[in-house]
Amino acid sequence: MTLQILLAISAVLFAFGLVATLSRSNAIMVLIGIELMLGASNLNFIVFWRFSENPAAMVGVMFAIFSIAVAAAEAAVGLAIIILVHRRINSVEADDASNLKG
Amino acid sequence: MICDFLKTCCADPLKLLGEWFVLLPAMVLLLSAAAAAVMRNLIRAALCLTLSFIALGIVFITLGAEFVGFVQLLVYVGAVAMVIVFAILLTRPDQLAKSGSAFSGLGPAGGAAAGFVALAVLLGFIFASPLAKKPLSAPVSAPVAAIGEALMGDYVVALIAVGILLTAALVGASVLALEDKQP
Repeated sequence: MTLQILLAISAVLFAFGLVATLSRSNAIMVLIGIELMLGASNLNFIVFWRFSENPAAMVGVMFAIFSIAVAAAEAAVGLAIIILVHRRINSVEADDASNLKG
Repeated sequence: MICDFLKTCCADPLKLLGEWFVLLPAMVLLLSAAAAAVMRNLIRAALCLTLSFIALGIVFITLGAEFVGFVQLLVYVGAVAMVIVFAILLTRPDQLAKSGSAFSGLGPAGGAAAGFVALAVLLGFIFASPLAKKPLSAPVSAPVAAIGEALMGDYVVALIAVGILLTAALVGASVLALEDKQP
């Protein structure tokens, strides 16, 4: 087991999230893709902490904890915006929300 | 390379088990994430996403970050996945899109191409780096008491900032979602 394998797993996870974010039409699926990419970044923090010279400093663990907290806030606000858009235009398709005036 | 691998397996079976301990949840993680990214049915995609969150938490735990693993399970599986399922139910996506397609933007081919390019660039850098050859060191751990002391010591400003951010985000989310219908 080397750093390479774990980083490659994280890169593949990030690519899946990128595909979902860029190609799905439903706004909730776009958000799911963003969550996958955030998970990949958290995995990177933990993996680099695991392989660091001084794991007792716990920098990677701290970064992952704060990243999880920010991701939770982002998911809550994102889904609230999706529900609001659905209420206004009766659709959650990203292409249908093309009017900036609301 | 295979010879070395077999030698380490015979010398230390626990080491092999330890590797599979990380690699098995990682495989579950990748498979369920792929399913979540391409699944047409939104509820199924959300359930695959939940499975990938669980697998990611298990990967964290096997890597020695138990606290982050359990936080991942609590926050993502307990809260984020449920909020996503609630949003899916509230927006009734079972009526298919007017276009009848689950894809837009770059489309499935464009999205796959973009993902492939990003993956190729990332893997190129990962496998070119000399740092990446580093083997797994002795098990490390992040004791909860030490995490608590660090949060209340070195990282206390960040902790307070995250608290303010979470409060603002949750109040903002409630205000957004509770807004009355336009006349």
